[in-house]
Amino acid sequence: MAIEPIQAIAAEPSLAPLAATQGAGTSGPVGGFGQLVSQGLERVNTQLLGTQTDLQQLALGQAGSVHQVMIRMEEARLSFELMMQVRNRVLEAYQDVMRMQL
Amino acid sequence: MDYRNAFAISAAGMDLERQRVDVATLNLANANTVQAPNGRGYQPMRVEERSLGVLPGQFADMLRAHGAGTNAAGATVTIEPLDGAPRQAYDPGHPYADEHGFVRYAPVDTASEMMTMMSAIRSYEANVAALNTSRQMAVKALEIGG
Repeated sequence: MAIEPIQAIAAEPSLAPLAATQGAGTSGPVGGFGQLVSQGLERVNTQLLGTQTDLQQLALGQAGSVHQVMIRMEEARLSFELMMQVRNRVLEAYQDVMRMQL
Repeated sequence: MDYRNAFAISAAGMDLERQRVDVATLNLANANTVQAPNGRGYQPMRVEERSLGVLPGQFADMLRAHGAGTNAAGATVTIEPLDGAPRQAYDPGHPYADEHGFVRYAPVDTASEMMTMMSAIRSYEANVAALNTSRQMAVKALEIGG
């Protein structure tokens, strides 16, 4: 049961200009939006991989307690749900902009 | 993350109840162990949890700085031996019988250990319910605007 790790999207070229203009114009975050997204994805991915390790240890009988494993699984699930909600919002906004009549 | 704090507190409560059950199980398993006439036998143990008496203002500090024997629920948990006179039974043929023919057994109170386990499992359930409530709140918060 191998969960394929989600690849980071750090090298997304289309997001770079936005980050550059934001960094130059205002005193916003240095990394910008792309880095924020990839950091969030990285963290969710780390949690999912940690859950996988926990489950393996539980199967091997090495886990300290069942409830700790369950709680970490719930945390990972909530983080994933949050990521999905953010993705839905961002995608919706992007599509709205793309559909805009000029 | 706010829900993680709630999860950590519930997990601390569950850890404590788990430990109470473990100790009660250990006591029950040693209930019929014999003490040597001159030596010490099994001593029943009990989980002691002491609240630190945290004021509401210190709650966030307590959550941030748990460690050093204090769990996320703000309590220190220790396992302490319980004193009690050994249970004596007349059995002159026993290899560990003393000069009067009495054998000494570990002073384990089976009924109170069963009560400990019952209250521990109820408290565990309560902690699970509290955790589920905070999880439901987090899930509901994700439905905002959706």
